[in-house]
Parts: sequence; structure tokens; C-alpha cells
Amino acid sequence: MTIFDHYYSFQIVGLKSINNLFCLLIKSPISEISDKLGPNDLPYKIPLHPNLVHLTIGLFAIGIFFDIAGAFYPFEKRILRFLAFPVTRVGFHDVGWYNILAASFITFFTVATGFFEMLLAVPIPEVKSILGQSAISTMLWHAIGGVAILFVMISMTIWRGYQRFVFRKDFGRQVSWSYIFFGSLILIMMGLHGSLGAWLASDFGVHITADQLLVRGEDINQIFQ
Amino acid sequence: MVHSTFNFMAYILINTFSIFSSLLPPLNEKNLPWIDVIHPIVVHFVIAMALGAVVFDLVGIIFKKPNLFEVSFLNLTVATIAIFVAIVFGQIEAGLSNPYGVSRDILNYHSTLGWSLAGVLSVITGWRYVSRQKNPQVLSKGFVFVDFILAAIVCTQVYLGDMLVWIYGLHTVPVVQAVRDGLL
Repeated sequence: MTIFDHYYSFQIVGLKSINNLFCLLIKSPISEISDKLGPNDLPYKIPLHPNLVHLTIGLFAIGIFFDIAGAFYPFEKRILRFLAFPVTRVGFHDVGWYNILAASFITFFTVATGFFEMLLAVPIPEVKSILGQSAISTMLWHAIGGVAILFVMISMTIWRGYQRFVFRKDFGRQVSWSYIFFGSLILIMMGLHGSLGAWLASDFGVHITADQLLVRGEDINQIFQ
Repeated sequence: MVHSTFNFMAYILINTFSIFSSLLPPLNEKNLPWIDVIHPIVVHFVIAMALGAVVFDLVGIIFKKPNLFEVSFLNLTVATIAIFVAIVFGQIEAGLSNPYGVSRDILNYHSTLGWSLAGVLSVITGWRYVSRQKNPQVLSKGFVFVDFILAAIVCTQVYLGDMLVWIYGLHTVPVVQAVRDGLL
């Protein structure tokens, strides 16, 4: 290619259109493999990350809830006896420990697939989320927040393990109040973080076949019949 | 069919008694009376707890840790409670989703299987409660078989729900806009 000969480059600087030209010359790396991707910009039909997220959020949230239930066990005891629902405090704390352990394990895969699918994301341009964010800032916050939450979850799991096997081994209440406080705080953060991810789909149309086809101006009724 | 019946009921209610439609806030650009879809959020707790219970059962058998059976039972209990909440929101949001083309059939399968899964989960949790009363340290071989069936139904249901969102884009801004413009 000899687009950039000397005379031409001189001229375009004068025209101040260098920015536009670079947009044409430097293409997104996705375009190299675009023929291998489906209309949803993925090599498969259904994105993986949103499915793994069910496991991360579900296991972590219910783990924290069961530890809260275990911590307030003396208050619940009468209600549980009234309902004839025989459960033990140890049982509640077992759920708290094993669920958060499983959540931490699976979240590595959640983050990994999230990054893979974000590299291939083609959000609808010139859309703003409810918070007024553009697609790229939503994506970056979701990415950095995801890694941060993974780090926090691993730390919480290690802390939880130490409480179970070392610090509070001989205690009925297996978790400290500060663990419950931080757990609840992380759940609120996760809710906000998850909303960013949800908007990437519902507002920015990332990896949604119908949205991508509609934006390209194709007739969905023909394709989906 | 289930879905269209409920859709019809919602249609009658909203059109015959204007008081019902005035109870809901106005619909937004995702055709929802609230900011985001709630059904996929509630469904976290059904999917994670049901699949988690199956995995904890298997791990409990392989590593001979009977206390994992208790974890599994409590997770199943949460899944059973959560699925009824998921159905309530799923039914409202399905009624507002304006399905088009093939997605109508998928939504019908998803609704039918969803209601069935509520029954299946309730029976399984009840059975588990009874067998746990007898001996919480032992899990019958029959239950492991049931676990696999449960996991298969949950995965099928997740796949159907995924198709509604990730292929047909129900309740996403561009699809709702296209429906309102009469393109779909």
C-alpha cells in the first residue's frame, strides 16, 4: 500500500483530517477474524460469561446469607422449632463456607470468559446508560470492578477459612461480625457491578444477535424464520 | 400455550379494568415498569443453588464428607423458594416482552418447563427432607440419579432463557424500539 507517500501525508496534515484517516487505516483487530464470528460477534451462539455469573452471584450471596443466619441462630431457634424444621447452626455455617469456596473457584472462569467476550464486544455506538456512561466506560468499569471483586472474594474466602479452622474453631458462631458487615457491603457492590453488566446487554446490545442485526439494518423476520 | 393463556389473562385485566394498569408505573424503553429485568436476577439463586446442590452431592460421595449432604439440602431449599419468586417475575416480564417469530415458541417452552421445574424442585426437596430425617449421613443412589435429571432440566431451562435474551433480545432497547416501530 502506498497511501502514505510524502506529498499526500503533507496534504492531510494541512486538512486536519488525520484523525479520520487513522480510523480507516487502523482497523479494529476483530475485523481480521470477523468472518469466523457469528452475527453476535462471538464464535458461538450464547455468551458464556452471563451464565457463569449466575453461579458466582448465587453461591456468594447465599453463602453470606447462611452465615448471617448462622450468626443470628439464637434468635431463629424458636421459629425453626415452631416450624418443625430441624437444622443446626453448624449446618448453616457449613453452607456459608462451602458456598463461598465454590463461588471463588468458579469466579476465575467467570472473569476469564468475561475478558474474552469483552475483547470481542461491539457495543451499539452513541448510546448512554442510565448513569450517563458510554459503552467503553461501562465496559472498563465492569472489567476493573470484576477483577477487584475476584480479589475481594478470594480474600473473603481465605478469611472465612481461617475463621472456620483456626480463629473461631471452638466457637458456636463461626464468623465475626466484621465478616458479615463486609460480606453485606460486597453484595451491594456486586449489585451495582452486575447492573453495569446487565446494561452492556440490554442498552448497548453487546453479543445479542437480534440487536446487532437490527443496528446493521438487516431484516430480522427473514433471518429468524 | 401456558404463556399465551397468561398473556391473555393479563390483557383482559389491563384492558378491562383500567385500575390494574394504573397500579404499574409507566413502561420504560425496555418495556418494563422497573429499571431492569428482575427475573434474570432472581434466577441466579435457582440456577446456582440447584446446580450447586448436585455438585455438593457428588463431591460429598466422592470425598466421603456427609456434611456436604446438609449443604446440598439447604441449597435445594433455597432453590425451591427462589423458583416461585422467579416465576412471578418471569410471568409479568414475559407478558410484557412482545415475543416475535420463533421466540414465541421458545417463550412457551421456557414457561412450561419453568412451571414444571417448580413442581420437580418441590418434590425433590420434599423427598430429600424425608430421607434426611431418617439418616442425614447417607444419600441414596436413587437420589444421585435424580440429581443428574435435575441438572439436565435446569441446564435446558437456562439455555431456553439464554436464547430469549441473547438471540432474540427480548426486553433490550433496540428490539423494544423495533417492536414499537412495527418492524417486528
